[in-house]
Amino acid sequence: MRKLTIILCTLALAGCVAMAKVETGDRSIGDRMAVKIEGPWNHLEAPGLGPAQNWTMEGLPVDQLLLYSGIKDGELVHAGGGGGTRKEFAFRANMHPDEIVAMFEGMLTRDGSTFMLTKLEPAPFGGRKGFRFDYTLTRKVDNVVLSGVGWGAVSKNELFAIIYMAPRLAFFARHAPQVEKIAMSATIKE
Amino acid sequence: MPLRFVRPEPATDEGGLWAIMDRTETELRRSPFLIRDKSLRDYVQDIACRLGGDHCPDVRVYLVRTPLFNASMAPNGTMQVWTGLMLRMENEAQFAAVLGHEIGHYLERHTLERLRDVKSASAFGQFIGLFGLVGAIGQLAVLAGLFSFSRDQERVADRIGITLMRKAGYDPAEASKVWGNLLAEIKARPDGDNEATVPMFATHPGVAERMDTLAQLAAEVPGGDTRTETWRAKIKPFRRDWLIEEIRRGQHEESIALLTRMIASAPGDAELLVARGEVYRQRAKEKDLELAMTDYQTAVALGGEPPETHRGLAMVYRKRGEPDQARASFQRYLEMAPGAPDAPMIRSYIEEPGK
Repeated sequence: MRKLTIILCTLALAGCVAMAKVETGDRSIGDRMAVKIEGPWNHLEAPGLGPAQNWTMEGLPVDQLLLYSGIKDGELVHAGGGGGTRKEFAFRANMHPDEIVAMFEGMLTRDGSTFMLTKLEPAPFGGRKGFRFDYTLTRKVDNVVLSGVGWGAVSKNELFAIIYMAPRLAFFARHAPQVEKIAMSATIKE
Repeated sequence: MPLRFVRPEPATDEGGLWAIMDRTETELRRSPFLIRDKSLRDYVQDIACRLGGDHCPDVRVYLVRTPLFNASMAPNGTMQVWTGLMLRMENEAQFAAVLGHEIGHYLERHTLERLRDVKSASAFGQFIGLFGLVGAIGQLAVLAGLFSFSRDQERVADRIGITLMRKAGYDPAEASKVWGNLLAEIKARPDGDNEATVPMFATHPGVAERMDTLAQLAAEVPGGDTRTETWRAKIKPFRRDWLIEEIRRGQHEESIALLTRMIASAPGDAELLVARGEVYRQRAKEKDLELAMTDYQTAVALGGEPPETHRGLAMVYRKRGEPDQARASFQRYLEMAPGAPDAPMIRSYIEEPGK
């Protein structure tokens, strides 16, 4: 998160960050996933942010919605870099849900934050057999405790997932129902 | 050993430095990453006190949950020790070596020296103009943090550390082993011998040279205790959590080097074998699943294995296309950990036909 903040500040100074409004309605995420949203969100667009679309309701780093569509075997689930000093986390097509969650856990704790899985269960996602997980993340950079929820499924060896996190006091409870509706509306195309 | 330090005047550069460190300490006390277990804190505080001698009342140790090798001591007496360092220590003497080294920097007031070096090298007047005196010291303290202690300062701290270890009854020969062990981990990384990737190494140049120096210093007056069994018993209740955090780092090669070393000194320790099995399984390179299976099975044979042993076994069986063994292992996992957060997922694996 600290790295993300630094990147965003740098890009903002360079005029490379754009915050676009995501309007209510059906939205395509990449080539193979679509979701329906019932209220507007903000979509952060900047070079080098990684393969997921970054959406936020309150603004980063308060809350963050990551939407992954069509992540291929061997592809990183976060922005690359780190000069080889930080572990990189890549999706493998033969991963089980536990391993996919462990991969996201690794990604979210690259900065020294701590992750605690509170639930992992089977759940349909995008019309496919998938999984849902709930977690708590204590962010290293500011000691804020976040609640998080995610859904995922693998289709044709590609990963599709939605992950949301926000401070557990107030913000998560405020936006989690909307996020759940977005996740439930997801469809994955053939 | 110098006399105990008196709190400096707030208007001085040293006073400004203490004020910044006081603020950091206040934040640290509230941090969710702080380990608050009294028995462990008292144990570590006692080690620091025995090393610090008359300075004991001024040394305040904070254990911070971070799976990296690091310890530091601020001029106001705040000492931070990260759990990744504690996991890597083989005995109390090695731990004392690190604390003694940090106390050495404290006794010699190296941070203040560093601040003054930066100050003299900078246009300090410009900083005062921009930030005021306290603000300027704050900026310089941040700037000073970017620079390493000098090699001379490190040598002095090493020498003091060895002296303090000896006075407290520890075997000083353990000091050089700390760095040797860590160097072996770093060399196991895919990026080779990049010492700067370890926080303490980033400010501690010349590890190989320091290992030799420490060994020479220890050889001058050999002998002393390692207190290995005491150390193992004290950290045992916390070690499983630290191992889980080590695995989560995803630095597979480093973790395998670390765990292989730990297993070599405690071959009957099921917890360590399972931790290495988990790393192999997550790395999933050629032959890793077989290596993971061997570690899990050895742990089961030893007994006292943690529940995740059976989940790991089941995952390997699934990948090998052995559904009956996978089901049996998943069931054993659920028997041992019925309330595990992933229990609903595991039940779904058991119910899957043909998998």
